[in-house]
Amino acid sequence: MKNSLKHLSTIIMAGGKGERLFPLTRDKAKPVITFGAIYRILDFTLTNCLNSGIRRIYVLSQYGSFSLDQHLRQAWDVMHPDLGEYIYSMPPQQIMVNRWYRGTADSIYQNLTILDQERPQQVLILSGDHVYKMNYLEMMEFHLQQDADLTVAAVMVPRVEGSSFGILKVNQASEVENFLEKPKDPPGLPDNPDYSLVSMGVYIFKAKILVEEVIKDAKKKTSKHDFGGDIIPHMVGRKKVFAYNFQDPVSRTPRYWRDIGLLDAYFKAHQDLLGASPVFELYDPDWPVRSRPQLLPPSKYICAGSHVTVEDSLIASGCVIEGAVQRSVLSPGVKVGAGANVSEAILWDGVEIGAGAQIQQAIIEEGVKVPPGFTIGVDPKRDAKRFHLTEKGVVVVPNNAVM
Amino acid sequence: MEDEGYEVKIATNARDALKIVETEPLDLVILDIRMPGMDGLEALPRILGLKEGLPVILNTAYTQYQESFMSWAADAYVVKSSDLTELKEKVKELVSK
Repeated sequence: MKNSLKHLSTIIMAGGKGERLFPLTRDKAKPVITFGAIYRILDFTLTNCLNSGIRRIYVLSQYGSFSLDQHLRQAWDVMHPDLGEYIYSMPPQQIMVNRWYRGTADSIYQNLTILDQERPQQVLILSGDHVYKMNYLEMMEFHLQQDADLTVAAVMVPRVEGSSFGILKVNQASEVENFLEKPKDPPGLPDNPDYSLVSMGVYIFKAKILVEEVIKDAKKKTSKHDFGGDIIPHMVGRKKVFAYNFQDPVSRTPRYWRDIGLLDAYFKAHQDLLGASPVFELYDPDWPVRSRPQLLPPSKYICAGSHVTVEDSLIASGCVIEGAVQRSVLSPGVKVGAGANVSEAILWDGVEIGAGAQIQQAIIEEGVKVPPGFTIGVDPKRDAKRFHLTEKGVVVVPNNAVM
Repeated sequence: MEDEGYEVKIATNARDALKIVETEPLDLVILDIRMPGMDGLEALPRILGLKEGLPVILNTAYTQYQESFMSWAADAYVVKSSDLTELKEKVKELVSK
């Protein structure tokens, strides 16, 4: 283990209800929603930890904790606690206080005993619903160099788009001067005024400062006990808070980071996986992404009279395709019948598209059987009556849909 | 404390103390750490969970618990002494806040 990680504890926040991702979060925790055919959203953060050399991880769970536990057991049972490495899932214990987690900061407060036992010098706080590839060691080195009380990872967005995010106003030395929630006129960076810094919800705290701050926050009646909304803004100007710009060190362009907070963001992030040079590359030998291994036969393409085409798509193993698939992401065991056309769709495990069916701009949950000749994503008015439609018109078909 | 003019409720263990916190209107709690059954550091977050913002002074013969993160949730940590000046001052300060 790298020396700078020796005194680090890592906590991943994975307890949120993910209401804005409804109906996908109807029966499971947001971090374990299928992403990129064979992954779960949480896999990207856990992979970042592993690829950064981090081996001691707590995953704070609450809503839908069974689905999360199940995934951790099936995909992430890779640590050996005897060797001092672990991934532990932590739902609210209700030992210290008799309540659920009231917010992200409260989830740390309720688990102070962990920090008391581990006595780390730094605490890395992560979120279980982001898609990105980040070496936390680089951020840690920045944090130690600055001798910061808190380092907030941040990514640049064009200033005109900054109004819908939490924006960090920094000085030339990257010290945070102000934290603005959805500002009308977002401040630009001192050396790049056309871009603003958006907080990624990735934090490194000096452990003692974190403890002081969450205790203080727990006693505040007006607080929502949230890192982004309460702890960070309250520390700015009072403590040494720095922003770590998550950018390419050579080209100085922002690195890929997506918050999968909305259904449209979920859909769009899938489009980023496709094409010859995707925006987000899964085929990266330097950054293998881990998930649950599934032993399924190879996918097959059957040309029994009708034409089979697959363009710019990701197809997991165990799929049987007899129709046409374009710009789509297919999880294991998906079947596309003869003459069916699937375009810009995300099909979860075991989805079956009947012969001649037309599917466009849709997210279809695991096990759904679309009858032959059925259309989804073609007639928005009809779809709105039967399914959930996102703001941008993507149709979401839950696994209890009747067709 | 009664000599100082305060009305005092006494509990001999943490469970009784929690019952008092739950049922009586209090301005402040003076809490020992080493107690039979539940100790003071376990009782502290429960007290705060029952009455958010209720000031708590940890009053113990031991200094080592000051290092424990759990003790940081108290408003003050006063080491027990035959001289009660510090404790009285802290009580006065916190009650008048």
